[in-house]
Amino acid sequence: MKQLYTENLSVGYGKKKIVENINIAAYKGQILCLLGPNGAGKTTILRTIAGLLPSVDGAVYIDSKNLFEIPQKQLAKKLSVVLTSKFSGELLTGFEVAAMGRYPHTDYLGRLTENDRQKIKEALLLVNAQNLSNRYFMELSDGEKQKILVARALVQEPEIIILDEPTTHLDIRHRLELLEILKVLSKTKHITIILSLHEIDIAVKSCDTIVLVKGGQIVANGSADEIINNEVIKDLYGFESANFNNLLGSIEISNRIEPSVFVIGGGGSGIPIYRLLARHGIGTAAGIIHENDVDCEIAKTIGIDVFTEKPFEDISDLSLNNARIMIDRVGMVIDSGVEIGSLNRKNGDLLNYAVESGKKVVSFRKDDDCRKQYRENADMVKLCGNSDELITILNENRGKISGGVNHGAT
Amino acid sequence: MKWKNDKLKFGILFGSVVLLLFFSFLLNIALGAVKIPLDDVVSILCEWNRSSNDMSEIVWNIRFPRAVGALFGGAALAGAGILLQIFFKNPIVEPFVLGVSSGSVLCVALVTLGGFSIGLGALSPFMVFIAAFAGAMVVTMIAVSFAGRVKSVVTLLVIGLMIGYICSAVTNILVAFADKEELHGFMMWTMGSFSGFTWNNIFILIVVGVPIMISMIFLVKPLNAFLMGEEYAKSMGVNISVLRVFIVIIASILAAIVTAFAGPIAFIGLAVPHIARLVFGTSDNKILLPGTLLIGALITLLCDLVSRTIFSPAELPISAVTSFIGAPIVICLILKRRSSL
Repeated sequence: MKQLYTENLSVGYGKKKIVENINIAAYKGQILCLLGPNGAGKTTILRTIAGLLPSVDGAVYIDSKNLFEIPQKQLAKKLSVVLTSKFSGELLTGFEVAAMGRYPHTDYLGRLTENDRQKIKEALLLVNAQNLSNRYFMELSDGEKQKILVARALVQEPEIIILDEPTTHLDIRHRLELLEILKVLSKTKHITIILSLHEIDIAVKSCDTIVLVKGGQIVANGSADEIINNEVIKDLYGFESANFNNLLGSIEISNRIEPSVFVIGGGGSGIPIYRLLARHGIGTAAGIIHENDVDCEIAKTIGIDVFTEKPFEDISDLSLNNARIMIDRVGMVIDSGVEIGSLNRKNGDLLNYAVESGKKVVSFRKDDDCRKQYRENADMVKLCGNSDELITILNENRGKISGGVNHGAT
Repeated sequence: MKWKNDKLKFGILFGSVVLLLFFSFLLNIALGAVKIPLDDVVSILCEWNRSSNDMSEIVWNIRFPRAVGALFGGAALAGAGILLQIFFKNPIVEPFVLGVSSGSVLCVALVTLGGFSIGLGALSPFMVFIAAFAGAMVVTMIAVSFAGRVKSVVTLLVIGLMIGYICSAVTNILVAFADKEELHGFMMWTMGSFSGFTWNNIFILIVVGVPIMISMIFLVKPLNAFLMGEEYAKSMGVNISVLRVFIVIIASILAAIVTAFAGPIAFIGLAVPHIARLVFGTSDNKILLPGTLLIGALITLLCDLVSRTIFSPAELPISAVTSFIGAPIVICLILKRRSSL
């Protein structure tokens, strides 16, 4: 059921239109998310559909009624907001701030009945903030404040909650916790959630509908799977130096420099190394990875040369030969410490080939594992325990590899 | 952290403030150029008859009206102060910020200095009252006419300040051309005093002031919502423009009636809300509004007592006392707290 929808809505200030021709719909119990760069007009859209700002043109409907014709008090029982405006909290406790939400439900003196108190306690419990109720709001952390403000919106008992960038200023734990709370609200309480976010990955994973806003219009509107891909995201935010992986929902810094280091990885062991090399601007090649390996997804998103093999097949001699040719060209080989099993045992051959052909080989293996792999050549392999050590090694071998390594940077 | 048992805490606090208020009221009647023992004060007040002895005369015709005036005047100023501080979200706002006092001062200057006394040679206190009240109300009406229209309260604040400047400018011109003797009377009035309060004054003060102060109960709920900011308040169903007009009218009338009788009294409206916040430790207006009224009354009574007794029989302007005693108190209280206002 369409809970809230717009019809050719234009939003802005006074006569000035900021975003035009908005036709979006939020369905009952679903999460709709606005994504877009700063200044795209997300906040203006949210303020308008919350009834805080008059529309420039077009209309907003809630349950098929025109938003601007619903009396303020009635609207307050249908829709509540969590805004970005800073609220000092004065000398109010968490409970008292949450209790503000009872406004449309209390008598003219604002007295709380036992029923009201119960509702406030429930809301605080739902957002895991029951322990904050007796503390002064101004003494809480940003994450705790946001939970109280969500509880306040919830206490209003609305059918729709509109949140403007609720995750800004929150650490990753509170971000995920907040999104989890919103998911619970939408799925168990059937509250329609409309919000704007900055984190594409979180949006893709937790929102039912995504609306992309850019350059004064809605660029795309639909489910995450339908509309989100690398090109859309790069275009939306106008970035060139990074890529977005749709499958994993992660953003990777681009690295398209001519390879001077070959990383032998697989099973996730190569990812931190690819990222470190990309960060330091060192051209990278990766191999030999099966196409269904997570290393392959990330390596391709970063944009480095990847030597691949078909899923679940033994590594072929052809692939091995191609990789050898690349190893001959690079100045250094990094052994990520990948588990060598039957399907990828030729990676072991590749490592031995690198050592035997006199390449500088850096290995993340433990000492005994290293001896098992390289046998009599083990002493020629430089052991490396963590990324700091790797940076030191890269610095020491700057002649062998192109691109600069920042001293001391991690 | 707050107390576990709020009801007990606020009960004790309110009880102590009321008790203090009662005692300082009696003290105000007992002390002065003529000292009257407390038990005599009580017996004179209890008799409720106006026997013609001197003590009874002093109590009933001078000290009692004056104490009642200070009591209600202080409450009214403090009440107006807290309304405007919440409304403007600004801790240094006071009742006279909207130009109320400047309007009063201008009109009083017009009658006392400008020769607009309509042919009356001697200046009657009643004329001063009418002029002060009229000036305050004219400025209030101007402020109200803007209140519903402007986008933000800060704009309204600036408009109020500008009106104040214009009024002060005209007053200064009048002062520049004023007669020396008239000037002294005028200057004394601008410093404020509760002396010369009559039963008639009290009657007006109570008839106008008390219903307005009681009507503040109905502002508690929207004012609490307003603490979170205008947008949150609107999203909860508060009619912002109606609330604005109400607050401006109520605060201005409260300030105007006090100014009209006692002159512009500094500091009470600015500082008492802060003292009340620190005493009660909450911003919940259910507690804070009545608390501010009581503490306003208490502090004004004490300041009036000091102004009469410290250099007795000479009397200080009350504004000198309120600022001199109150300002250090506020600084100390604020410094002792970790957080801002």
